[in-house]
Amino acid sequence: MATKVVAMILAGGKGERLYPLTQDRAKPAVPFGGIYRIIDFTLSNCLNSGIRQIHLLTQYKSLSLNRHIIQGWIHYFNGELGEYINLIPAQQRVGEDWYLGTADAIYQNIYVLQMDRPALVLILSGDHIYKMNYQDMIAYHRERQADLTVAVIEMPKHLSRHFGVLQVNEDFRITGFQEKPEVPQTIPGQPDWILCNMGVYVFNTETLVRRVIEDAKDPHSAHDFGKNVIPAMVAQDRVYAYSFRDENKKTSKYWRDIGTLDAYYEASMDLVSVDPEFNLYDRDWPIRTYQPHYPPAKTVFFEDGGTGRTGGAYNSLISSGCIISGGKVFRSILSPGVRINSYAEACDSILMDGVNVGRRARLNRVIVDKDVKIPEGFQIGYDLKEDAKQFTVTESGIVVISKGTILE
Amino acid sequence: MERVLCVDDDASLLQLYHDELTEEGYTVILAKDGKEALKKLEKEAPEIVVMDIRMPNMDGIETLTAMLGKNRQIPVILNTAFPQYRDNFMTWGAEAYVIKSSDLTELKKKIREVLDKRKTK
Repeated sequence: MATKVVAMILAGGKGERLYPLTQDRAKPAVPFGGIYRIIDFTLSNCLNSGIRQIHLLTQYKSLSLNRHIIQGWIHYFNGELGEYINLIPAQQRVGEDWYLGTADAIYQNIYVLQMDRPALVLILSGDHIYKMNYQDMIAYHRERQADLTVAVIEMPKHLSRHFGVLQVNEDFRITGFQEKPEVPQTIPGQPDWILCNMGVYVFNTETLVRRVIEDAKDPHSAHDFGKNVIPAMVAQDRVYAYSFRDENKKTSKYWRDIGTLDAYYEASMDLVSVDPEFNLYDRDWPIRTYQPHYPPAKTVFFEDGGTGRTGGAYNSLISSGCIISGGKVFRSILSPGVRINSYAEACDSILMDGVNVGRRARLNRVIVDKDVKIPEGFQIGYDLKEDAKQFTVTESGIVVISKGTILE
Repeated sequence: MERVLCVDDDASLLQLYHDELTEEGYTVILAKDGKEALKKLEKEAPEIVVMDIRMPNMDGIETLTAMLGKNRQIPVILNTAFPQYRDNFMTWGAEAYVIKSSDLTELKKKIREVLDKRKTK
């Protein structure tokens, strides 16, 4: 028998810095790349790695996430073979608090591990975009006879204050841990590079249970793996770093924590570049999702050899059900069911499901959330001062129009 | 004097704990279930808790869970006739685990050990 591994995915992130995209949904449920949600990347990693026992721990605004999992993911798991994907909302089983931190989320669900009795627990975050074969990491964990293995990615030193930075010895055993340091410890022999915590952990179940209970006893702890549990373990347990092997197969490793609206925008725009850093088209590493059945995307009108009323899209991702009728789309991502009307123009924008761009309207560097109607002749993204009175405008000048906004 | 909170739904056992542990020089506080134990923890601030697992209202594991993160890390010794509880992950939150017996020698030894360990910390 293979080692029994259960995945616990922390999908309760509020994603406050992604507001207003997280106004009605948890961060893992935020749409990305036209047809996906952020959680799809981690779940696809699980399926592609043969991890088929999954608990998804949710808490805030989980309706949208729950619906997506039920519609799109449950059917991949065969209960008769002991496979499952469980949605576990914060249940206040052990107290009156919601999850206080990542370690507390596991602590509050120890009873789940007690029922499953896995040998190893794979702890993942539902917020990250990357491709990883967890079986490689599990094999590495067993080889090292580790109590805990932490996946790490090499990053340039100047980014240290955004990450948990790990120090290792020559065997890659972790010897120290700094949370978002100004002055980081660099990789031995590579003074410009640091090892960053990806929030992907393989734990021996027994060690995990003991350490989260110890952490729960400590009233001064923030109950966070990165801040509390792992630093405490480094001194007493066998804790190893696993250098992330990227299944994305590009020259540099791809891993993104879509933490802010600007990071979200940048990661999205990568997808419409000629040779994106993140490859959605690798048939050896399919990214799955849920999408309703729509008719094929369609373009309408080609007048006066393309100089008149013409519908077209260039350097863009166009999902099913879109109708580009007499308008133009440049370097944009259109989710299913978007409609672009005559003489309208969308540039460098992200339009989510069901957005309707009215005649002669123009959008430049705008994220439009689901079902918003842009009225005829509206211009957004050309006068940021004016836009900021009505919409969220990010540091780098991206305008975000939230779900439910009514424009007149 | 060190205060020991004993929690058990069996009144005769509580009496036994009271008599024998008082003789050892402890101040003994008694509670008949988890709910009462949690109240007494707040009020009387014992140094250690000796607790049964199977109790009505609120059992030992629920009580232990409710104590974690609060009550300034008061150590708990679980005292039960059913060794299968050792398999329950939540009992791992206890400091020690003793098989219940009317002979309190083992229990007294454990109480001393746990308290001494705390002092040297």
